[in-house]
Amino acid sequence: MGETARDSEPRQLASEARDRVRFEEEALELADQVYRVARRLVSTREEAEDLMQETYARAFRSWRSYTPGTNLRAWLLRILTNLNIDRGRRKQRAPAEQPLEEGDYYLYNRLEQSSRDGNVDEERVLERLSQGDVVDALSAVPHDFRDVIVLVDIGDFTYQDAANILDIPIGTVMSRLHRGRRILKRELAETAGGGGE
Amino acid sequence: MHGIEDLCEKCEEVMQPFLDRVLSDTERAEAERHLDECGYCRRRYRFEESLRQFVRGCCEEPMPVELKRKLAALRTPLT
Repeated sequence: MGETARDSEPRQLASEARDRVRFEEEALELADQVYRVARRLVSTREEAEDLMQETYARAFRSWRSYTPGTNLRAWLLRILTNLNIDRGRRKQRAPAEQPLEEGDYYLYNRLEQSSRDGNVDEERVLERLSQGDVVDALSAVPHDFRDVIVLVDIGDFTYQDAANILDIPIGTVMSRLHRGRRILKRELAETAGGGGE
Repeated sequence: MHGIEDLCEKCEEVMQPFLDRVLSDTERAEAERHLDECGYCRRRYRFEESLRQFVRGCCEEPMPVELKRKLAALRTPLT
């Protein structure tokens, strides 16, 4: 190593430290949003908290592999979903049982049938569903479908981001999303339109 | 000849790509034409939109403050 390289070393280190601090701050600012997605990818709050800590520990260690200017939230969620799979959630190639799926109008039709005057008031119908119903219905959707719904509909990721995060083709994202939402609505119909009346 | 029920069935089929704004211009125009004259489908599209918002809202769960502190503690210490 020559004289010049040695001289510039402290300055390089200082600039690297600055970049790292900036990265850490940006990553932490996104933590609420990352958590919201993480919480729905796993079943319990404890799992979500563990997963968040593992994700941030890894992100802070490998911050150099993040390309500034790209989507940091997607980068963090890619780490998170990979860790989630490593933790024992193997990629389910073919679910043992095919999830039941109905058309996109199914939930509305069921609600309409079960309402007294046959007239569905959207606002009032939604009031019949509780937060717990929705969370339960979502967790009843098989992983492969749920991951995509959570990323796109709850995490606001584009199809392309979701494809990158889950490492699957964009066409697969779309088909899983469409089928997944139908499965979710069928689950909701069981909860909201099924019992009670 | 296509009956109105065929058109509704087609409209149900394209509801998700329609609301996700990924339909081709032709398909979109076709669906819009049907929605203009069909209250049955229009109500179901409107419901889907509110449902999506509702599902999002239900999934709001603030991150525990304690977790936030733990994450911050994982930062590389400044030397």
